[in-house]
Amino acid sequence: MSSDHHNHHDEGWADKKAFRNAFLGVLIIASIAAAIAGFIPAFQKEHPHFAVEGWGVFFAVWGFAAFMFIVLAGQHLRKLVGRKEGYYEERE
Amino acid sequence: MTGALDLFINNPAVILTVGALMCLAIPRHLASPILLIATAISAVKLYTLGLGNYGAVSLFGETLTTVRLDPLSRIFAVVFHIAAALNIIYAWGQRDRAQNFATLAYPAAALGGVLAGDMITLFFWWEMAAITSVFLVWAPGTRVTYLSGMRYLSIQILSGVLLLGGIVLTFRETGTLDFNFIGLRDDNGAIKFSALVMFLAFGIKSAFPLLHNWVQDAYPKSTITGAIILSIFTTKLAVYSLARAFPGTIELVYIGAVMTIFPIFFALIENDLRKVLTYSINNQVGFMVVAIGFGAINGAAGYAFGNIIFEGLLFMALGAAMYRTGTSKATELGGLYKTMPLTMGLCIVGALSISAFPGTLGFVTKGLIIDAAGEAHMFWIWLTLLFASAGVLEHAGIKIPYFTFFAHDSGKRPKEAPIGMMIAMGASAAMCLGLGFFPEPLYALMPDQAAIAGYHPYSAYHIVEQLQLLLWAVLAFAVLILLKWYPAEVPSTNLDTDWFWRIPGRELLGWVTGASRATWIALWGIFSGRVQALMERIYAVHGPEGQMARSWPIGFMALWTAILLGLVLFLSFLA
Repeated sequence: MSSDHHNHHDEGWADKKAFRNAFLGVLIIASIAAAIAGFIPAFQKEHPHFAVEGWGVFFAVWGFAAFMFIVLAGQHLRKLVGRKEGYYEERE
Repeated sequence: MTGALDLFINNPAVILTVGALMCLAIPRHLASPILLIATAISAVKLYTLGLGNYGAVSLFGETLTTVRLDPLSRIFAVVFHIAAALNIIYAWGQRDRAQNFATLAYPAAALGGVLAGDMITLFFWWEMAAITSVFLVWAPGTRVTYLSGMRYLSIQILSGVLLLGGIVLTFRETGTLDFNFIGLRDDNGAIKFSALVMFLAFGIKSAFPLLHNWVQDAYPKSTITGAIILSIFTTKLAVYSLARAFPGTIELVYIGAVMTIFPIFFALIENDLRKVLTYSINNQVGFMVVAIGFGAINGAAGYAFGNIIFEGLLFMALGAAMYRTGTSKATELGGLYKTMPLTMGLCIVGALSISAFPGTLGFVTKGLIIDAAGEAHMFWIWLTLLFASAGVLEHAGIKIPYFTFFAHDSGKRPKEAPIGMMIAMGASAAMCLGLGFFPEPLYALMPDQAAIAGYHPYSAYHIVEQLQLLLWAVLAFAVLILLKWYPAEVPSTNLDTDWFWRIPGRELLGWVTGASRATWIALWGIFSGRVQALMERIYAVHGPEGQMARSWPIGFMALWTAILLGLVLFLSFLA
């Protein structure tokens, strides 16, 4: 277990604002491109199993909504099942 | 003699077991090379055997097939060998004898299970997998891991007992011990009790919902290498067993769908990242179970293959961070990318792969399962699987690399992972990308060649729909971070189904034990009191002062002799 602890938090490349902005920019462009591609007939399923597959942006909307729901709704689970660390150790 | 020799040398699982046993006798520094050599010999044996049945044994008039190598068992056997070799390399130089033994004995047992052609052989290896794996849970040697190991062992043995019961009942019904399709229902659609018992046995090891929590209870408490090994074999042996015995069982679709969903929420709020990955195991096995329910065996086997590689890679990367920092908690990690850039890069490959980004092993295998739901026209299941895919991205694709290597800077500046760990992670990442871009060698191993022949993962719509789903989910994460709506990690214990047997269950057990003890003491008191009274009475009669101990006068004895003789004379007269 060799670990060196530094008190000063030196800035790495991922901490730089330029990198974060670039990452976000690429992500937004790629996401929009993927959404647009969904409307191009060549990128659509010839024989979709379900009607929603023909909506063009269905997967984008579902992916975004699912992720949001998981995080925003899921965090409340902590109120129900969350206990302090060592909960079991104190009782066993 | 030749038959017995064939039985051993033709069984790769036996070769691995011998290698594991050798570790107990040889000097500790030779353990890793011996384990790797044994794995290589076993792999060569597997390759040279070819498809077929081997190692027939006669037992009580029944013929057991100890090795059955067919397309379904082959793909699992191949990936088990790859995983065993990677684990040995990852743990290179490990000196702990018990762990070295379990590092190969446990995969050997799982391999023996997937190669078993009959249910008795399956049962034998099933139990061996339980017994050998518990050493990995116990390896840290603390009271916490001891108790966890005992709980783990109890549940695994329960699964074994159910399996044995199912085997007996199935044999009584069918008259055969061959391990083939069983099916949950009979011709009239009624559930077969014998099949249900086996189904439950497999369900426990697959970690079905409500039966799942032994995974979270035991795996994260193991050592760094132990957790990686544990994460691979038991659940995949169970997946194989379900694929063999219950393909096309529609109940599995619904069970699997639930398995893909609920762990996502527990993983979200979990602070221990190794525990997050154990919830990920539940979620991933859920996808496989759904595939089995649809009868999409290629999906189940292919995804099991892929998952062993990319989930293993995530466990390894997290293990490397833990090895260097001593913790796997999100609140104590972060910022490690500054000094562990290679480990971070390899972790991201695993994260991309488990999220099924195009160009990865996850993409070319998960599509088989999602497509199966579409072809079955089960809309809600299909939608659920897409939802669960976004969940996988959240907890395994983003949370693991983000909180380990980025997020808040923990101030820790550890060295890169040791060379053995780097080689194992590098090889795993190479497979994630190599088989992701060129899946043909994996598809050649698929059990249903007719079905895979027409499957092309890199169709334009498949790439676009997957990119839409994942990129927009990542965008949602970015929005949540920017708005500071993403929940902060909190050190905590999150209750799950194990609470029932660890708190009220334990108290109930304590009460039952106390009541049993009190009842026993009371019964023993009554019994011993009666015995005491009887003994006193016997002593009173037969003791030194007793009536029977008195010396009798000769005249008294003569009188009794005369009475007895008279009685005999009377009886003779009557006769």
